[in-house]
Amino acid sequence: MAYFLGIDVGSGYSKAVVLEGKTLRSYAVMPSGGDYKKIAGKVAKSALQKINLTLADIACTVAAGYGAAMVDFADRTSTDISCNAAGIYHLFPSVKTVIDIGAQYTRAIRLDSEGRIANFIMNEKCAGGSGKFLQIIARILRMEVEEIGDLSLTAVKPVEFTTACAVFAESEAVSRISEGALPADILAGLHKAMASKIVTLVTRVGLTPDVAVTGGGAEDIGLVKAIEAELEKGIFVADEPRITAAMGAALFASERV
Amino acid sequence: MNYFAGVDIGSTMTKVVIIGDSIVASLIGPTGPEHRKLANKVMEDALNQAHLKFEDLSYIVATGYGRINVPFADRQITEITCHAKGLHSLLPTAKTIVDIGGQDSKGIKIKDGRVHNFVMNDKCAAGTGRFLEVIAESLNVPLVRLGELSLTAVKAAEISSTCTVFAEHEITNQLANGESLANLVAGVHLSVATRVCSLVKKMTIEQDIAITGGGAKNIGLIRALEAKFGCPVLVPPEPLITGALGAALMGKEIFEKFAEEGQTPTRSGRGLEEARLFL
Repeated sequence: MAYFLGIDVGSGYSKAVVLEGKTLRSYAVMPSGGDYKKIAGKVAKSALQKINLTLADIACTVAAGYGAAMVDFADRTSTDISCNAAGIYHLFPSVKTVIDIGAQYTRAIRLDSEGRIANFIMNEKCAGGSGKFLQIIARILRMEVEEIGDLSLTAVKPVEFTTACAVFAESEAVSRISEGALPADILAGLHKAMASKIVTLVTRVGLTPDVAVTGGGAEDIGLVKAIEAELEKGIFVADEPRITAAMGAALFASERV
Repeated sequence: MNYFAGVDIGSTMTKVVIIGDSIVASLIGPTGPEHRKLANKVMEDALNQAHLKFEDLSYIVATGYGRINVPFADRQITEITCHAKGLHSLLPTAKTIVDIGGQDSKGIKIKDGRVHNFVMNDKCAAGTGRFLEVIAESLNVPLVRLGELSLTAVKAAEISSTCTVFAEHEITNQLANGESLANLVAGVHLSVATRVCSLVKKMTIEQDIAITGGGAKNIGLIRALEAKFGCPVLVPPEPLITGALGAALMGKEIFEKFAEEGQTPTRSGRGLEEARLFL
């Protein structure tokens, strides 16, 4: 069976997925840095090496994302929104609404019954509902961004935040810390503020169950639970939520041959 | 002589004004988490400046974001009302007030010396003093120097991000790519002016336009606002104290209304004590 490569060069992270037919064989995730051309080659090589392949073994490559145009070894490019939709549809065919929480953008995507995009809304103007907010939260609590999700779930009395602005929330959090609030309670409050901002976006696109969350934000269990609480609905999260768009790109590659 | 005090506890600065027939004391100090509790200290300093005792004050009005934290105030009145009152006494021709504070910005329409309409942004740091503060810190330029620095700009740099967080990142990148500091700061002022202008334009703007709040102390921002509004703007001599002045004037008005009927208004009965914050 032939191999296909999908590359997603995001503003924060770059991802590569290798499929054999339509089956996932390997993937890699790396920080994008400033040189998209270089990172695309690097992340592809890393995913391929894990299963002892080279670019020469790939039948077709599709690139997507912020830096898609810089992927010089791709056969074609596609938008990361349609790739993400295709990746999610492949994993969870019942999903009609995708919330993608990236490093700088948060998107709400509505799918039709064939997994095509029916509508989408993007928030690129405000850091309030984006992965950037999670980084700011982690920094003020002197934690790694990977650690905040679990701690948030242990909150006893979540702090109420009056704002979803990343700048104002940061100063509010600093005041609450100085007043002795527990980090877990602060995290839970910030996750809630973020979730309500994200849910506003989802409501605007038209909330249709089932719902899935993708992107780096989906790796934060505290945020995912906060979104579930706001939506009053369970949501799907892929095992590796950052690679769904790269997977969709690889699926497009497999259809193009 | 009857004396009246206005205390304006803003998110960033605390202001106290004491009036008799005219202003006898005005004081500005930072509002930290502690200072919000310690409004009594700022009041004490203002009384010292005026050579008055607390008992000499006939009525005290508190205003601003922290107005509930002033136990010795006889009444709390919103900063919108107080700003309009204070500014109208200083600049009677102004019909639109643009207040650029530390954590919010407002537009207030005045008609016959009273508030006719207002708009406010306290949801997003863009278009507030906080935006300037964040950028000044990341450019390592003191906040008070931004104004004069931007006047030396050849051409304002274009800043495409609205969000403070993203703009900070964008500006650092532009600086690394060789854009001049002055051009960047001019671009930052234009960005704040654009946000403020679109907020205030939700109301019909009538001239004269007056600028108050900490933002009014920044000459670069004033020039950018004039460019955006397309007309010159007025700035009171001390743009930070209009709210506190308005509060003191409101106090005087309340007291005199009672006096006309031979009565005195009910006082809070509290001395110069510390506020207990309910958190």
